[in-house]
Amino acid sequence: MSSIIAILVLSGVFFSIIAAIGVVRLPDMYSRLHAASISSTLGVSSVLLGVFLYFWYFNNNFEMTLLLAIVLIFVIAPTGAHMLARSAFHSDVEPYKLTILNELRRDEIGHEELREEDKQRAEERKKEKELEE
Amino acid sequence: MALQILLNFLLAFLWAAMNDTLELPTLIMGYIMGMIAIYVIRNFLPGSFYMIRFYRIIKLIVVFIRELVIANITVMKIVLKPKINVHPGFYAYPCELEEDWEVVLLSSLITLTPGTVVVAISDDYSKLYIHGVHLTDADEEIRGIKSSFENVIKEVGQP
Amino acid sequence: MNLFLNIVFIIAIVGMAIAMGIASYRIIRGPTLHDKIVALDAFGVMLMATIGIFSVLLDTSYLIVVIMLIGMLGAVGTIAMAKFLEKGWVIDIDRDSDE
Repeated sequence: MSSIIAILVLSGVFFSIIAAIGVVRLPDMYSRLHAASISSTLGVSSVLLGVFLYFWYFNNNFEMTLLLAIVLIFVIAPTGAHMLARSAFHSDVEPYKLTILNELRRDEIGHEELREEDKQRAEERKKEKELEE
Repeated sequence: MALQILLNFLLAFLWAAMNDTLELPTLIMGYIMGMIAIYVIRNFLPGSFYMIRFYRIIKLIVVFIRELVIANITVMKIVLKPKINVHPGFYAYPCELEEDWEVVLLSSLITLTPGTVVVAISDDYSKLYIHGVHLTDADEEIRGIKSSFENVIKEVGQP
Repeated sequence: MNLFLNIVFIIAIVGMAIAMGIASYRIIRGPTLHDKIVALDAFGVMLMATIGIFSVLLDTSYLIVVIMLIGMLGAVGTIAMAKFLEKGWVIDIDRDSDE
């Protein structure tokens, strides 16, 4: 039982460190949202599961509150991530410049009103493709 | 399904009352006997036998946990390389589910696997706009989500 | 609690402290406001894990209710800030209808 608790806690800490490194290194706000909200959810769930097993096995104390905290994190974290992504999109936070498709913007603005920056970017990408060929 | 669970609890209490005690092992025994009784008369009650729905829900949870761990390893490989070259992108995903709670469940599950976040939903619940971190081919990703998540949710939604 | 688990938990809490320190760099630096909210959300969730490990090292079970409280407050704060930045208000009240 000690080895199971050790594996759970150490893997949880490892995923949390990966999430923190991802928040610093990734280039764009939407990518940082992926790393922060989702990887840290898995890491913290593993740590809390390890703590729950420790209290159950060594102190003979069944703590229901920890299981409730795990369910709470799984329900609330994707809701918060979705709200942040939606609010960033409607406040015109720029996506990373190598973004391939942008169908959401096309469907919301309409075909005729593409901004001039998008037209320039499309032209640059065509020139790069011609240079590669 | 709710009617069957309620009937099962009432039969468990009936069994405990006939044995003149209220301890936990007697209640569990009464619950199991009530489940056998409901299985025998399942054709006369609305909906199918509720244990089948429990089995499908448990299968959904197992599929989800496996997808979560695999996709977390993918994000770890992206973050730990010395030079980051990600190609993010937005794409539209046509969704074929009909009821409201199924669409909510699908978008929650899509948001919880790393690499995909649902940004907006169109007004008639037919399109989900998804942002992916590393996008090689949009059609391939659409097919991946469809095969793994949507079929399992459709099975849960059948009465 | 034997010696092996003691060492494991001390390594775990040092690791969580390093992770929270790295995340706080993004809170100070982030170019837009949404970056700061994302990093604070991650920081709050990591704080829950830190308090959990702390309650094992101090051998008490009274700190577990604190974990749930911090989780709820952090989540509601993130959602309220996101909605405020999108629209300008948080709760939709229709003052012109006659209900």
